[in-house]
Amino acid sequence: MMMLIFAWKNIWRNKKRSFIILAATAIGLAAGIFSVGLMTGMYDSMVDSAINRGLGNIQLHTTAYKRDQLIRQYLPNIDSVVQVIKKYPDVKSYTTHSIIEGMASSATIASGVSIVAIDPELEKSVTAVSKSIVEGTYLEKPNSIIIGKKLADKLKIKLRSRVVLSFAGMDGNIIYAAFRVAGIFKTDASLFDGMNVFILQNDLSTLLGTQAPIHEIILRTHNSLLLEQTKNELQHQLPSSILVESWRDISPDMKLTADITDLTNMIFLGMILFALLFGLTNTLMMSVLDRVRDFGVLLAVGMYRRRLFSMIILESLFLSFTGGIVGVLIGWGLVQYFKTQGIDLSVVSKGLSAYGIPSMLYPYIRSNVYGELTVMMIATSIIAAMYPAIKAVRLKPVDAIRTIA
Amino acid sequence: MPIIEIQNVSKIYNTRVIPVQALKDIDLSIEQGEFSAVVGPSGSGKTTLLNIIGGLDAATQGTVILSGNNITTMNEGALIDFRLHHIGFVFQAYNLIPVLTALENVEFILFLQKLNKKERTDRAMELLKRVGLQDRADRKPAELSGGQQQRVAVARALASHPDFILADEPTANLDSHTAESLLDLMEDLNKEYGMTFLFSTHDPRVIHRAYRVITLEDGMIASGKNS
Repeated sequence: MMMLIFAWKNIWRNKKRSFIILAATAIGLAAGIFSVGLMTGMYDSMVDSAINRGLGNIQLHTTAYKRDQLIRQYLPNIDSVVQVIKKYPDVKSYTTHSIIEGMASSATIASGVSIVAIDPELEKSVTAVSKSIVEGTYLEKPNSIIIGKKLADKLKIKLRSRVVLSFAGMDGNIIYAAFRVAGIFKTDASLFDGMNVFILQNDLSTLLGTQAPIHEIILRTHNSLLLEQTKNELQHQLPSSILVESWRDISPDMKLTADITDLTNMIFLGMILFALLFGLTNTLMMSVLDRVRDFGVLLAVGMYRRRLFSMIILESLFLSFTGGIVGVLIGWGLVQYFKTQGIDLSVVSKGLSAYGIPSMLYPYIRSNVYGELTVMMIATSIIAAMYPAIKAVRLKPVDAIRTIA
Repeated sequence: MPIIEIQNVSKIYNTRVIPVQALKDIDLSIEQGEFSAVVGPSGSGKTTLLNIIGGLDAATQGTVILSGNNITTMNEGALIDFRLHHIGFVFQAYNLIPVLTALENVEFILFLQKLNKKERTDRAMELLKRVGLQDRADRKPAELSGGQQQRVAVARALASHPDFILADEPTANLDSHTAESLLDLMEDLNKEYGMTFLFSTHDPRVIHRAYRVITLEDGMIASGKNS
């Protein structure tokens, strides 16, 4: 205990010098944590946005559909599959999609689209399409269609305009069908808005003359930590012709982005600490040089060199952790404030939208960052103290005592 | 048995150009309870002799036996331990730790000796009382006068119950009155506890008080070799 008190008092021996390094540590870490919060928040928003748009937490397709994406490659025995899904307590909700590649034509222009036939009530519980309507209404009446804002602009159509969809039916013959635009949606991803149209499954059944084929089931789950477990259990329960995938399997680019974000965050914090390491070493070195005579006395009266070494390491830990705790509190405070207020990036929303990133950013820090940061700070403190501590323990008491303070 | 026994000790500083012989074949014995001073002109080897006796510097040749222990054969760890338990030091410039209070400066030695908090505080307070500074226990060195700091240094030197105290020019930075007062204290401690003091000094006040004066000249004992 006395050693801790001694080390703590030593760091306040030159208050101005200690405050400078404490301020540098605090400001550096606060800025670092806030930046990490921004990066993590941006990534999480991107993932949440994609999950809400239709990625879901888990998707089911036939293995054949995953390979060829043909209209005939639908999920067999859909009712029994749904029964299996409903048994899992971690499954919060599900929706079914019929997906057909086709063309959407206005009076003047045509564009390739994914025609997604949905059950509007089921869809509401899984995707945010119903909440993304910026003009008109959600799918309510037969022969209505909702399309993305970007596609609407491209086809030069408005609400209640007529759109003709053409696609290959179950027998391969081309089917043409006219729909009335009931609503226009706008999500965070302009690519999605330019590629997807939504119609009612009942309308598709009528056009095909048979029950609409379900190509995809999308699930929302309660607990993201149980995602892989739920996926594996579902896969075990369902026939091998049905492929159960988590959003990470379906969108490996997002998983890669998550890994890169985490790595970048750690490298970023590491670089801040690396820069602080030199400042800390400098402060400790000056502190050691100021106390050569004291160290000489301590060694003369019977202090072991290893104890002197530990004392300087302790001083380094105190310095970096005092600054570090202040910095983490400031950074955490900033993240908490903007987590509720959000940061409006609408001035660059067009660019963000291309990457599926919402224009309101909510910073977020994962709790493991604090643990990793603590380990990094301990390592930084010890490394920073090494050279000054070695210098101190190599002093000869007989020479050190005679040093002029 | 002498408490300090030096046999045939020489010290040569190997400067790059010319080796300098600081001590030449010194033989010296100090008995328990002595109040002795090593005197001599600057460069005569007083401080070198005290450093070698204190185990702070190694003799080039010869043997140093302290309280029956040959310190010339000890490794560094054993020597540090020996200094901690057997030798008290008083330095010219007091050399108290500036961030610690008077009490903590004395307590620190006892902490190094692994005494518990209560034992440390009781012993340190007792010593501060003995040197007349019990009411200055919570003051830092900068808040004490030179004389008071040197008294704390004496209390610190006594803390570990040493076999003897080495005092290197203890009065050099003190005014006459304060120096006399400090010497009174040291003399009282010598009489009360039989504490052995060995001074290195030029100060006539110390020389006057010393029971035995060992004079060094050119690294050799010119007089006072025997008690």
